[in-house]
Amino acid sequence: MVEFIVNWVAFTPVFAVPLMLASIGLIINERAGVMNLGAEGIMLVGAFAGVVVYIESGNILALGTLGAIAAGLVVSALFAFMVVTMRLNQVVAGIAIVFFASGLTGLIGNPWTERAVEGFTKVDMGVLSTIPVLGKIVFSQDLMVYASVPIVYFVWRFLHRSIPGMKLRAVGENPQAADAAGVSIDLMRFGAVVTGGALVGLAGGYLALAASKIWVEDMTHGRGWIAVALVIFARWRPGRAVLGALLFGGIEALIPRIQAVGLAVPQYLLLMMPYLVTLAVLTYVGLVSRTGSGAPGALGLPYVREDRR
Amino acid sequence: MPSRTLAIGRISLEVRQGIEFWLHGLIVLASIAVGLGISVLLLVVSGIDVSNIFEEFIVFTFFDSAGLADVLLEWAPLILVGLSAAVAFRVQFWNIGIEGQFVWGAIGATVVMIYDIGPSWIQIYLMFLGGIIGGMAWIAVPAFLRLRLQVNEIISTLLLNYVAALFVLNQLFGAWQDPAAVYYKTAQFAAYQRLPLIGWGQIHVGLFIALAAALIVWLVTERSRFGAYMKFVGSNPGMALASGIPVTLTILAAVMLSGSLSGLGGYLVASGQEYALTIYVAIGYGFSGIVIAFLSRNNPAAVVVVSFLMAGLYVGGESIQVFYGLPEALIGLIQSIIVICVVGSEFFVRYRVRWMR
Repeated sequence: MVEFIVNWVAFTPVFAVPLMLASIGLIINERAGVMNLGAEGIMLVGAFAGVVVYIESGNILALGTLGAIAAGLVVSALFAFMVVTMRLNQVVAGIAIVFFASGLTGLIGNPWTERAVEGFTKVDMGVLSTIPVLGKIVFSQDLMVYASVPIVYFVWRFLHRSIPGMKLRAVGENPQAADAAGVSIDLMRFGAVVTGGALVGLAGGYLALAASKIWVEDMTHGRGWIAVALVIFARWRPGRAVLGALLFGGIEALIPRIQAVGLAVPQYLLLMMPYLVTLAVLTYVGLVSRTGSGAPGALGLPYVREDRR
Repeated sequence: MPSRTLAIGRISLEVRQGIEFWLHGLIVLASIAVGLGISVLLLVVSGIDVSNIFEEFIVFTFFDSAGLADVLLEWAPLILVGLSAAVAFRVQFWNIGIEGQFVWGAIGATVVMIYDIGPSWIQIYLMFLGGIIGGMAWIAVPAFLRLRLQVNEIISTLLLNYVAALFVLNQLFGAWQDPAAVYYKTAQFAAYQRLPLIGWGQIHVGLFIALAAALIVWLVTERSRFGAYMKFVGSNPGMALASGIPVTLTILAAVMLSGSLSGLGGYLVASGQEYALTIYVAIGYGFSGIVIAFLSRNNPAAVVVVSFLMAGLYVGGESIQVFYGLPEALIGLIQSIIVICVVGSEFFVRYRVRWMR
């Protein structure tokens, strides 16, 4: 039993980190007032680019990771151009991005499909990694797990303890006021969408290079949407997003563990769990949030100076 | 009126006060043309001959008896998913879960076959009911969550797509599996459980069911009090509530109608095309419904026309896929490119663009 729990907890970060990075990226987007429903698509392109660059560069992990980030940047720049520059409907644009990404990666992805990659490997910290329980859980993760801690800290620090972060939140909360105060709404929103998108792309790349270690068509399986839900659960706060990601990562990590010990649970019903738990969490949020959801005031609304709202 | 302008570098944007009908139409058509152009370019880059594209998508689909029959066969479920999306979007309910409701419509029909419910002559009608009930049941949860707890329906309906697909897998790899089948599906429906063919290709009476549904939806949305309520609720829910319109009830009724239309689509494919429940029964129909409704501006009459063209894209795309060994994602890609272009055209409808010196 102890071994089961240790294995489970040790496997949780690999599943939690993609959700964590994606929801942190989405928080940057949405705090600036842009609802990014294209997350699933951006993650998918990130996963694809990560694997393609990794394989084509001769298994150089850093390049694969950078490729995922760059892909996230490119796709979210397209999205930002649509919703920030051209002020188009964010819901329709986001959904279109998802299917665009799914179709494009499906069309050009054949040569790289189902080629197993080594990707991220566990860091060996010598003596530390051999400590019972703790060694396996804390000191034998891969680099990105450790890197995600400062990433989250930096995003939190930026959003809540810096002047540009305050301006970004002002743009999402009340763009009229921010505009009057001299903040460039377009620039701030474009920057937020692209920066957040880079993190979502990285999340996808990590998913492919660390969790599944393979590229398969539509491999994100709704994790981008779960990240969108996580942001609501987190009330748009990075710290709570980490908690939520660990919770969901824990559930996802449980599935292969249960299968590994041979418990007779039908596998397809088991695979439903993340989606049903997401739904349950959203229901819970709906039940308890009598005082408002904590969403940024101008979330999802395009901004035109002196435009009617 | 204050002039509402915005500058991006040397470009100035001016919010239009109104737009002439012909100009609006021209902008949308131009954007569809751009989308098709990009798609053709993409196909050419994938190694397909331009003349083949023309032949597959135009000549062999719309001007060939067998091809046209395939288009008409595909038309029926596309009308239904298009109507389903349009009805929900009209009350600002973003039903992205059409695929899940479609699957449950097919399951509703299949249950009648699996458990052999009722005398044989009545089963095809029970399947019809099963399809409607299945689709409605699957949208009832997101509808309840949205109306009572303000849970975002985009996410809830979408998550339930995955749950529905996994449920079908669970059944097809388990209790409902046909041991004689090569790939995973249920046993074949018996002759009396199938929708009758009309004698042209594989076209079955489902086409008339879909067209009748379109007529009914058109009457409901354009000619009934409920339709007027839907318009009011969709354009301004706050004011609708203040004027004493039963807002919640209107949204609920529209959403249930949406779910039942999707479910009906699943019934048509299960009882009219596949004659079984398969893992592929709903693939692609969800996004197609959204695209059709979006391009038709949620107008039921336009849905009928747009879904016909979409059926042509399906049939042409399928034969290109098979012939050139391209992945199934192709149709979705072309659809999303067209949507992105049409969404983009909205910009030119809303703003007048001027160059500044």
